[in-house]
Amino acid sequence: MTAQREPSSFRDRSGYIFYEGEKVFRVVGNSYKKEYDQLHSSGLYKHLTENGLLIAHEEVPADLWPAHLASSDVYKLVQVPTLPFVSYSYEWSFQQLKEAALLTVQIQLAALAHGMTLKDASSFNVQFSGGKPLFIDTLSFEEYEEGRPWVAYRQFCTHFLAPLSLISLVSPDLRRLSQLSVEGIPLSLTSRLLPRKTRFSPFFQMHIHLHAKLENKYSGDVQASKKVTRSLSKTRLTAIISHLQSGVNSLQLPVSKTEWSDYYEQFSYSDASIEHKKTLVREWAGEIMPARTWDLGCNTGLFSEVVQAVSGQVVSFDIDYMAIEKFYAALKKKPYTNVLPLVLDLGNPTPAIGWANLERKSFADRGPADLILSLALIHHLCLGNNVPLGHVASLFAKLARHLVIEFVPKSDPQSQRLLVTRADVFDDYHKEGFEAAFGEYFTIRKRELISGTERTLYLMTCKS
Amino acid sequence: MQAFLLYIDPGSGSLILQILAGGALAAGMFVKTYWLRIKSFFKKSDNSSHNTPK
Repeated sequence: MTAQREPSSFRDRSGYIFYEGEKVFRVVGNSYKKEYDQLHSSGLYKHLTENGLLIAHEEVPADLWPAHLASSDVYKLVQVPTLPFVSYSYEWSFQQLKEAALLTVQIQLAALAHGMTLKDASSFNVQFSGGKPLFIDTLSFEEYEEGRPWVAYRQFCTHFLAPLSLISLVSPDLRRLSQLSVEGIPLSLTSRLLPRKTRFSPFFQMHIHLHAKLENKYSGDVQASKKVTRSLSKTRLTAIISHLQSGVNSLQLPVSKTEWSDYYEQFSYSDASIEHKKTLVREWAGEIMPARTWDLGCNTGLFSEVVQAVSGQVVSFDIDYMAIEKFYAALKKKPYTNVLPLVLDLGNPTPAIGWANLERKSFADRGPADLILSLALIHHLCLGNNVPLGHVASLFAKLARHLVIEFVPKSDPQSQRLLVTRADVFDDYHKEGFEAAFGEYFTIRKRELISGTERTLYLMTCKS
Repeated sequence: MQAFLLYIDPGSGSLILQILAGGALAAGMFVKTYWLRIKSFFKKSDNSSHNTPK
């Protein structure tokens, strides 16, 4: 089998990730030998993996190494579990981002207690697996030398503290600033955007405002960094990290009601219609038995819950930040852990960013899924966003093999709501037009009218 | 002094800030500890005055 190197795995020269089919391997370079051994001998690896904080790995014996590693500079080869889905901080809800930040801080405190330290604190080092954040970069640890400040402190602030503060105190829309640069949100920009009152808070003053000022003042000053080596005691360093921890912990999202997060509560569906739809989704998805399901327009996850019972992994997307926030909070009380809710605007989905546009993948590049669930979504895309039916069919055919999709006709009250302030220029938006557009890419296997509504549910399979 | 050989740039300003922040937090802890001691001293004397029979 051919090995494929992970395109984002190049910044740190301590090793890299490659794939063989579904299997994921990490090469530990000889340059990282000392740190790798210390990670294990100090007990840090055991502590972090036993507590579910760091991804566990298994060493591959040297006689089983693939041929392409023979001539390279390899100390160890380890196999790591395959992640259900790779997501990015600009797709996370506030609570997800906060948990990822707290995980990073917790790991740094544990590392210090074991004589090690994190050499980076990037949000890309955290992924969601089994319903909670997991640190995935085993090569992020190095020996702690007494007196040294935390080299990843600035990265922690630009990757976690800046977006959390901006989302909490300015607007959730600012999460997308993290998408502009793989380096996170610049502190000078964060400092200018945060409300004036934060200047009177010791926490924001220290970690954002003064930090930004000093960053500007000393940028490029080589002499400055020489002056500061070996002068911060471990007690003081720990105090800074603990200060970050308690500050991040106290950040909250202002309670706001958005359009969709109370959708089910006030929506016109009757209980019987919802039950009918649930039964159909459960039965039809059950026939597919998908390993990977994407629930597009999941809202607070009513149907993600139904489909997870017959799916391996479910990734649920919605444009509504508060709906995803609510969804993620509700998942904490559920017995299953195979659902990952993420914020995504399907009309303008996550782009690929970073070097050569390969470092961080676009939404579509992380597919295909086995099944797409598209319930009460098509009218938003076509009537609300002017996307022709054929465009939606063509995209969905690229994203998944099977499709459970609900067609919402113009006569539906929710479609009427969308059309109330605009001209109806959607001549082909009707059941026949829908079937023709999707029929080009999919075979329609089942169709059924949802009782008590004018909506139709379809099960389709891609032709190619 | 030993130079750092790092693969990410920690930023000189960020390093300097940590020295200042470490100092400020340590000073804060110092003040807090003494403030608690002073408070507990007065509390004790308060308690003792309550306990004294009139």
